[in-house]
Amino acid sequence: MYEAMIVGLILGALWFIEKFFGTCMVIRPLVVSPLVGLALGDLQTGVIIGATLELVFMGAIQIGGAVPPDALVGAGLGTAFAILTGQGAEIALTLALPIAILAQSVKVLLFIVRSGFMTPAIKYAQEGNIRKMKMLNYAGLILQSLMYFSVAFVAIMFGSAAVEAFVNNIPESIMQGLNVAAGLLPAVGFALLLLPMMNLKNVIYFVVGFILVSYLELPIMAVTILGILLAFIVAYEKGSFKPQSVNAAQEGEEDLFDE
Amino acid sequence: MSNTMTKEDKKLIMELFKSSFMLEGCYNYERQQALGYAIAIWPAIKTFYHTKEEQAKALVRHMEIFNTTPHVLTAITGVNAALEKEASMNPDFDVTSINSIKVGLMGPFAGIGDSFFWGTFRIIASAIGISLAQQGSAFGFILFLLLFNIPHFVIRYYLTVVGYRFGTGIMGNAKESGILQMISKGATIVGLMVIGGMSASMVALTTPLQVTLGETSFTIQSYLDQIFPLLLPFLYVLAMFGLLKKGVSSTWVLLITVAVGILGALIGIF
Repeated sequence: MYEAMIVGLILGALWFIEKFFGTCMVIRPLVVSPLVGLALGDLQTGVIIGATLELVFMGAIQIGGAVPPDALVGAGLGTAFAILTGQGAEIALTLALPIAILAQSVKVLLFIVRSGFMTPAIKYAQEGNIRKMKMLNYAGLILQSLMYFSVAFVAIMFGSAAVEAFVNNIPESIMQGLNVAAGLLPAVGFALLLLPMMNLKNVIYFVVGFILVSYLELPIMAVTILGILLAFIVAYEKGSFKPQSVNAAQEGEEDLFDE
Repeated sequence: MSNTMTKEDKKLIMELFKSSFMLEGCYNYERQQALGYAIAIWPAIKTFYHTKEEQAKALVRHMEIFNTTPHVLTAITGVNAALEKEASMNPDFDVTSINSIKVGLMGPFAGIGDSFFWGTFRIIASAIGISLAQQGSAFGFILFLLLFNIPHFVIRYYLTVVGYRFGTGIMGNAKESGILQMISKGATIVGLMVIGGMSASMVALTTPLQVTLGETSFTIQSYLDQIFPLLLPFLYVLAMFGLLKKGVSSTWVLLITVAVGILGALIGIF
């Protein structure tokens, strides 16, 4: 009970600190494992496990919208199980990866749930109510911290056997479906962003940007630089620019996809 | 513009710096860092708009999807603050260009920020931390945190200053007639291209469907890849754009997307 509680609290608190101080790296295994070790009375093992897991999870970082294996849960629980079962860094390593991958889908679920926070957020924005927007932001952060607390608490209370059984019991098709949905959801965000900008006259630039990445596999930096150059050519160099054309394009905007 | 900052400018920069930390408190799939961004830019909104209506309008504008490396956010809010200042003083200012410029900046800054903070900085700091920890020293992780975060906080602050000055500079030169609209048109082009590129790299959809003709089976995906790589994500983004354009609410589009994912996987088309 004590062990489940304290490890849960550490993981929840570390996540809170991470996103309260602008992604300050306190959820890296190098930090997580020693703290869990300290709480469970074996700092030394925690430090060693931290060094090992940091190397394993070096590539597990969140860039863009992709959710990587969850290093925080993987390192926290891997270290806890290794110390509680009296085994060394090897068992931490064996457990950390599958746990991290499982936790990844819990996080995906949370990101889906938190999409529902955007509707009230927009309502508060329309009311100009910054206080409620800030509270909502805190609520989102606390929800995720609680998620980490619960995941760690439940996992340690019911042990690694239960963790394994749980992984095996989720219907494969649902897991896969959630993964597919996670891949698709950014499309909604991009469509929302395009809504005020794109019309039949300029849809071509969207297509160009897409193709530069899909066919030519250019990095986003390259697309941006090309975009700036193209914008310069179109808006300035060709001299085709007339001050009224922007407004005209907006007023006479043909609704794309509207028959 | 002049290089001297007024006392008000300095106060605003400090507030922008302080409000930039909780960018990812409510990170989600629909709008990613939007709520965090709206909160981060609030000091500028509060400073430059004085009626509740104007403030609400600006807040709504900043609830659009946003995503960049958290550590370099202030460069963008800095530029953005200067644009809001201009928008608040110039009634002819096309505010949609603010979002275009934001989108134009978030891609490159994510690129620079990710390779600098995640790729370079974190790797150096953790290499030093790991080598200490491997010898059993608990100072390893403390050193790691210090090596990463001292430069992180310093850079975060100075990017606010640089962003704000840069943004003020753009506006200072852009006062002549026509130039603002030209920037707006140019920013739209860059914005659309970046969104196109990000759609290609971040939206994922493939099909495992196979067609069997006689003895041989053909994987549809490999044909699609030859004709138009990432055709499915491309069509999906445009389809969602079409739904939104028709007035379907974003919540519905979101629910439809989750349903498409789960049902598609169940019947085996995705």
